[in-house]
Amino acid sequence: MRYGRMRKHGLEFSMKIVFAVCACMSIVAISLIAIFLLAGGLPAIHEIGIVEFFLGQRWAPGDRYPAVPDFGVLPMIVGSIYITLGALVIGVPIGLFTAIYLAYMCPRRIYVFIKPVINLLAGIPSVVYGFFGMVVLVPIIRPFAREITGGGTGESILAASILLGIMILPVVIGISESAIRAVPESYLEGALALGASKTRSVFCVIVPAAKSGILAAVVLGVGRAVGETMAVNMVAGNQARMPTHLLRGARSLTANIVMEMPYAYGLHRDALTASGVVLLLFILIINMLFVFFVRKGR
Amino acid sequence: MKKMLAFALLTVVGLLFFTACGDGGTATNPSTNPPAAATSPVAQPNPAPAAAPAPAAPAPATTTPITGPIDVISRESGSGTRDAFVDILGILEGGVDRTYIEAVIQTGTGAVITAVAGNLYSIGYISLGALRDDVRAMPINGVAPSAANVQAGTYPLFRTFYLAVPRNLESLAQDFLDFILSAEGQAIVSGRNYIAVGDNLAPFTGGGLTGTLEITGSTSIAPLMELLAVAYMEINDDARIEVHSSGSGAGITDAIEGRAAFGMVSRELRPTELESVDAVAMAYDGLAVIVHNDNPIPSLTTEQVRDIFMGELSRWGDTQ
Repeated sequence: MRYGRMRKHGLEFSMKIVFAVCACMSIVAISLIAIFLLAGGLPAIHEIGIVEFFLGQRWAPGDRYPAVPDFGVLPMIVGSIYITLGALVIGVPIGLFTAIYLAYMCPRRIYVFIKPVINLLAGIPSVVYGFFGMVVLVPIIRPFAREITGGGTGESILAASILLGIMILPVVIGISESAIRAVPESYLEGALALGASKTRSVFCVIVPAAKSGILAAVVLGVGRAVGETMAVNMVAGNQARMPTHLLRGARSLTANIVMEMPYAYGLHRDALTASGVVLLLFILIINMLFVFFVRKGR
Repeated sequence: MKKMLAFALLTVVGLLFFTACGDGGTATNPSTNPPAAATSPVAQPNPAPAAAPAPAAPAPATTTPITGPIDVISRESGSGTRDAFVDILGILEGGVDRTYIEAVIQTGTGAVITAVAGNLYSIGYISLGALRDDVRAMPINGVAPSAANVQAGTYPLFRTFYLAVPRNLESLAQDFLDFILSAEGQAIVSGRNYIAVGDNLAPFTGGGLTGTLEITGSTSIAPLMELLAVAYMEINDDARIEVHSSGSGAGITDAIEGRAAFGMVSRELRPTELESVDAVAMAYDGLAVIVHNDNPIPSLTTEQVRDIFMGELSRWGDTQ
């Protein structure tokens, strides 16, 4: 009897350990990633010079003796920011309106059709988005780019932004829909009872009440857009210079890493790792904002 | 049931969307699917062997002149193809790569071909051995790019494929190196649209060794090296040769640091690198300047190509 109980206890205890180890796995993973990035990146930033690295406008790793290669990452930071902002301009209104429609206006029969389609959108691999952008969006934008900016292949900030705008839709819709649904029914009833139309009640009462959840959705969308690599790489043109026009190309931090890492060695490789550090900082800030908005909502 | 219906509907909508978009794509760029007559490329990758200074090839059947801005497509920094291209054309000035800053950057030969094949106004460059029908190789100074013309010395754009060889080679590595430079090895080289480093070479006499060799480096050389490795392993079936493509720079580093038997390098080795390894030429490779199949420009000069890729010549109308 006693023996059996001890065995049961022992099993309980060991399983507890197993679960705890599993729970620690992601902490271990993120620490390892952070350590690897910082160990590779920080010495490189130091060697290049903090100002030259973060504010340098020339990225020319191919320069060689007697010239000195430049590793200024500012064009890529700005490129990433522009492309992400563009994605928000396109993705957030569509996503928010979709969420409102799904939560308040959508008949059940249409809902069961739209919801799986949106989820499917989240499951499409980014390289497929990239290919779609390459064969459809880019040729459509090309004549406009040539007309307006006097050149350009159509691979542009606009193309990348449209693509990313579509890609962040599932995140924006999913989280803002649940935020909107979390608003108590009585808010809507109250507004309706005061004589507001349904649309007015939704926009003036429900959406403000769900504000923090919607902001959290936007922040998570930003995270997705900043981190997206393949699709952006395929349609953005990837010129390593400060972005000049919406219809001209730009290079994102992620594209810079994925394009040059296979061939890079020495300081070039470390400089790319250092751009990974910049990305990590971006994502940290974005996630802190997300946590902040979610907490504020409670 | 509803889910299935939804899925079926989605598929139909998706298909419609794609066909519609396909039409849209062709409408904006009517030249993507030209009639068969128009596609006959000016420069066949493999013309008759007796092609000494070939006369300027005739323009394709299309008569629409091309005048607008040139879309320059280049490769990413670190690519051996780009290093060789900027080196040969003098785009590299005093160690500074002056490639046009507005050039779209594509990663890999395949991506450059896709980009050029889909854009009438574009121009790019690839290894001659990788040339395909969906793009037209531009004759340079009136000479069509071909292995024969490189060999004859009339086509100016070519590079040397090097092996970065460490000073003290193990016997298997030496044997494989001998094979690459033998008559058999160089026959494989010239059989693939590359140019052999010499003729009347001695036949291969080695073999009978065991062991494993690791060879890393240029992605441009790797396909050729794979063929050589397979052929060598047929003669010498106790040896194993593994080829990894990691880029020229990484190949040199691997060879210097002993991680690879030798490194494949598709650009000139730099003086600092030659302090630790020897450069052995294993083949020559032409560089093809490629344009859209409907591009009517018959030929460009070396200077024009350089100016285009430096952004100083920016309109097709100014090239003739």
